[in-house]
Amino acid sequence: MTQEPEHGAVSRHEPIELVLARLLRLGSLIAAALLAAGIGAMLLGNSGFAPRLVTAGLMTLLATPVLRVVAAGVIFIREREWQFAFFCLVVLCALVAGVLLGRGEG
Amino acid sequence: MAICAGVIGSVLGLGGGIIIVPGLTLLFGVPVRTAVAASTVSIIATSTGAAVAFLRDRLTNTRVAMWLEMGTATGALSGALIAGYLDEKVLLILFGILLGYSGYNMFRNRTAELPGEVVPDSLSLKLKLAGSYYDRVLGRRVEYQVTRTLTGLILMYFSGIAAGLLGIGAGIFKVPAMDQIMRMPFKASTATSNFMIGVTAASGAVVYFARGDVKPLVAGPVVLGVLVGAVLGARLMVKMKTSTIRKLFIPLIVYTAMEMIYRGVRG
Repeated sequence: MTQEPEHGAVSRHEPIELVLARLLRLGSLIAAALLAAGIGAMLLGNSGFAPRLVTAGLMTLLATPVLRVVAAGVIFIREREWQFAFFCLVVLCALVAGVLLGRGEG
Repeated sequence: MAICAGVIGSVLGLGGGIIIVPGLTLLFGVPVRTAVAASTVSIIATSTGAAVAFLRDRLTNTRVAMWLEMGTATGALSGALIAGYLDEKVLLILFGILLGYSGYNMFRNRTAELPGEVVPDSLSLKLKLAGSYYDRVLGRRVEYQVTRTLTGLILMYFSGIAAGLLGIGAGIFKVPAMDQIMRMPFKASTATSNFMIGVTAASGAVVYFARGDVKPLVAGPVVLGVLVGAVLGARLMVKMKTSTIRKLFIPLIVYTAMEMIYRGVRG
């Protein structure tokens, strides 16, 4: 890793990239653990429990990018970058509208 | 196969759906709907798995990503709304031609490592759509500022429509838009595209979940494989030369362009 000399030069807070990276890593680790456990249980022949574990893993994965948009929005608000906070809101509204629409169809 | 799809997807900033859907249907005899649903969830896996490494290396530009996601998210919504009303054949041919053209442009610039001098527009300056990252191959920092900011957003809207209509992450449209129109360095373009497709795919994946198309038995192993592949691919990509990544991208873009036009003409 390359260490960057950025002592207090840009922002008072931790850079947005590192916060989001941690969130995404947490999401993918939990998802991977649930998926691996589910597949393991499937191979051992536990057919009742295993699909639920896998589904939980997939759901975790699905929630991660949405949470990422929310987290980015919060960070932009904290940094008083109102324009970018607004962009996040637009994206979230479009996502919610898409979900409602999709459920209506399905 | 899934690991391979994850590696390719994360290196090129795509979802890997191009590999997973035919792989599952042809090799394993999985129904198309189940395959598309599994592929959509695995796009999220590619995006999430690879983004960690790209964010740490500052290849992903979160500001550009948020600005452009407005386009992709609203575009995907419009795409889902107009699906069925518009003649999809015409759209497929149009998208195919667009892709073919950007493939040709990419071929002309195939040896360029960096975009060179870029004159940023006023919107890009106002929104501070700039970035810098440490390129491990060149051994130095690369600084850039994007241009044609509004054109980029409009293009993302259309890539969102393509994603909504065709059920893909549409990374193959996003990378050329950032690379050729907004003049972002190619590696930053693929990393940022990779970051964005997760959100596009999430909105599609919710629908597949609601319809019950996501089959744990199929999707579970595929998604886990893609996740592992994406983490590996991202490590690989930061060490690769831009021209190498470009050379891998060009055949894929040409293939996708031809397939879209073929599907459009055949109907």
